[in-house]
Amino acid sequence: MEYEFTKEDLKEIEKIKAKYPEVMPATLPVLWVAQNRFGHVEPEVQRLVAKTLGLPEAHVHGVATFYTQYYKEKKGKYVLDVCTCLSCQLCGGYDILEHLEKTLGIKKGETTQDGKFTLNEVECLGACGYAPMLQITNDKYINNLTVEKTDKLIDMLKKDEEPEYEEIEMPLRKVK
Amino acid sequence: MPEVFIDGKRYEYEGEQRLLQFIQDQGMEVPFFCYHPSMTAPANCRQCMVKVGQPVKDRETGEYEKDEDGERVIRWFPKLQTSCNIMIADGMVVKTQETDDLVKRAQKDNLELILINHPLDCPICDQAGECPLQIQTYKYGPEGSRFEVKKVHKPKRVQLGPRVVLDAERCINCTRCTRFTEEISKTHQLTITSRGDKNYPTAAPGREFDDPYSLNTVDLCPVGALTSADFRFKARVWEMNQTPSIDISNGKGCNIDIWTRDNLVLRITPRFNEEVNDYWMPDEGREAYKRFNENRVSRPLQKLDNEQVNSSWNNAIATISEQVDGVDKKDVTIIASPHASVEENYILAKFASLLGMNPPVFTPHVEKGKGDGFLLTDDLAPNANGCRLLGFEEKSAAGIAAAVEKAKVVLLLSDHLADRGIITTDKLKDTFVAVFATNHSETTKNADLVVPITTAAEHAASYVNVDGRIQRTFPAKETKYSNRRLDLEMSEGRLDRYGTSFDNWITEENKIDCLPLWRFMSELAAYKGMENFAYTSGREIMDEIAAANDLFSGVSYEAMDEQSGITLDKTKTTVKL
Repeated sequence: MEYEFTKEDLKEIEKIKAKYPEVMPATLPVLWVAQNRFGHVEPEVQRLVAKTLGLPEAHVHGVATFYTQYYKEKKGKYVLDVCTCLSCQLCGGYDILEHLEKTLGIKKGETTQDGKFTLNEVECLGACGYAPMLQITNDKYINNLTVEKTDKLIDMLKKDEEPEYEEIEMPLRKVK
Repeated sequence: MPEVFIDGKRYEYEGEQRLLQFIQDQGMEVPFFCYHPSMTAPANCRQCMVKVGQPVKDRETGEYEKDEDGERVIRWFPKLQTSCNIMIADGMVVKTQETDDLVKRAQKDNLELILINHPLDCPICDQAGECPLQIQTYKYGPEGSRFEVKKVHKPKRVQLGPRVVLDAERCINCTRCTRFTEEISKTHQLTITSRGDKNYPTAAPGREFDDPYSLNTVDLCPVGALTSADFRFKARVWEMNQTPSIDISNGKGCNIDIWTRDNLVLRITPRFNEEVNDYWMPDEGREAYKRFNENRVSRPLQKLDNEQVNSSWNNAIATISEQVDGVDKKDVTIIASPHASVEENYILAKFASLLGMNPPVFTPHVEKGKGDGFLLTDDLAPNANGCRLLGFEEKSAAGIAAAVEKAKVVLLLSDHLADRGIITTDKLKDTFVAVFATNHSETTKNADLVVPITTAAEHAASYVNVDGRIQRTFPAKETKYSNRRLDLEMSEGRLDRYGTSFDNWITEENKIDCLPLWRFMSELAAYKGMENFAYTSGREIMDEIAAANDLFSGVSYEAMDEQSGITLDKTKTTVKL
């Protein structure tokens, strides 16, 4: 399949390039532009980014593979990254993960057949204070998960309703 | 002059210098993997740790502060430093693993870290024996492993390109190979993929690592991660002899090492020469090892009833003598060769002039567009400038063809003219053609007499490269008539030194039945009763050339060895390409 940037994308890429004295640092943000456009940065897309920026393909490949947030293969529309690092694990991160595996009918690392969900087990996302939690497609955090909250989330996402950003006050801030 | 103290000893230095390089230049050692003198130092292997400090200066007086013993007060860096990317500063105090236990411990622990996932396959690894990781683990590493868990597995036997094979598990991610493609060959073909313990070098997906200099990454690799697809599993390094030589596959004259075992050339690697090729050489030059082994002319061949048959040396000498005497001297055409050495060409010219024949002519072997401004040149012959310096007339392809057509007897020195398309083979039919050749070709097949001569791997002789630099080879491979133990120019490996002819690793087949051209011509001259024409080595021929030809004044084997080649007066070596 041939991938092409739209005119708007190219305009944005020009803006990004203008921010840096050289082209090379633009690799990261332009990979984001590509991932937002195509939903992934498969080798073909990496090649397109390299061509657009005039950089070596190997360099773009190296950058794309270094960061797990870039998807090197096609993923579901919603990528659920469930944290199972220490704090989440203690508060039931694995229960959430297993529950999701059961409800979605897939194992971790897999994508549902309708291409809607991908389930991942990830390490710490820096939200230990409101464990267990998960992140949706490199974006929103869903905190203080319970089985019920998870089910509600899946129902919403199935209807393509995006959850709101959750504001959680840090416990320390309450102390006057 | 600024000073630096290393392990308690004072050294003076000049200019900007990397600490690791300076330590090595003084003949000392700090272990390292990722550093390379010709590339940037990213300091990512963390092996070259040393302790570094600066003396404390009183800001007001500018004097060094002294402690109660009168010694300078040293302010040490809070942590150990990588010596590869730290620049020497005046008064710097350095402690290496020789004098500091913390440094020793740091190096040992770093090696333990590097070895966590490194496979223990040294017994089948090509790098073993010349492996910095192996050597430094032996010298500075931990004695055993504390890791009893399963090692991380990565791709093995990945054909990165036509000539390079990757074993990702062995990789220690020093990035020398990726830096080589970025900084030296500038093809940017390699990168490190993934991160953490999963990373390894690779080309972009779907792309081949077909850099014309790709095999240099194999030399650079400090472990056995990158290996040569061709040399893989052919020999253990300690079984081979290493002989310095010159690349004959193009006009650049890269300095090389020829690696032989049982008189077969198994691989060619670059040898450092700042003036010519630094640490590198093109892949094509490495392929040239096949010319020394395969398809060689062994024993003189003579055409009888339109069929070439094995002949004898005496027969060859008598035949040439007869043919040359049988025609008018002006009907003999002698074709010198940019593929042969200065010495061989000179001998041919001297023979011609003594007998009153036409002086030799030659035609360069040039392929336009082949050169890349780095180590590949348009000139495909190693010694075109040598022929020019000897004063031979340079002819076009048509000129050579005309000269051959006109002649009744042609003496052709190792230049496969028919294969290069300069003459057609039917033109050779009516003429008596004697070829002095190293390898079989269409040209030799159509010759009336083929005299086998030595290659650059079998004789000591010199070649003048495109920049007018004269450099010489050493004999690396024995012929039927030479002997490693008697020829002091030849190197002797373990198998040669400790082997006898009864050992199964020593065979006779790989010794070619050929002579250096000067030996053959001397025999021919003796047969013809010529005086003052007896040569046994290239060394004496070069001395004679240097005495007779101004352009070569000052050139001798000793001088070439000492200065690793001599650049001849460039104003006189007009390179016509």
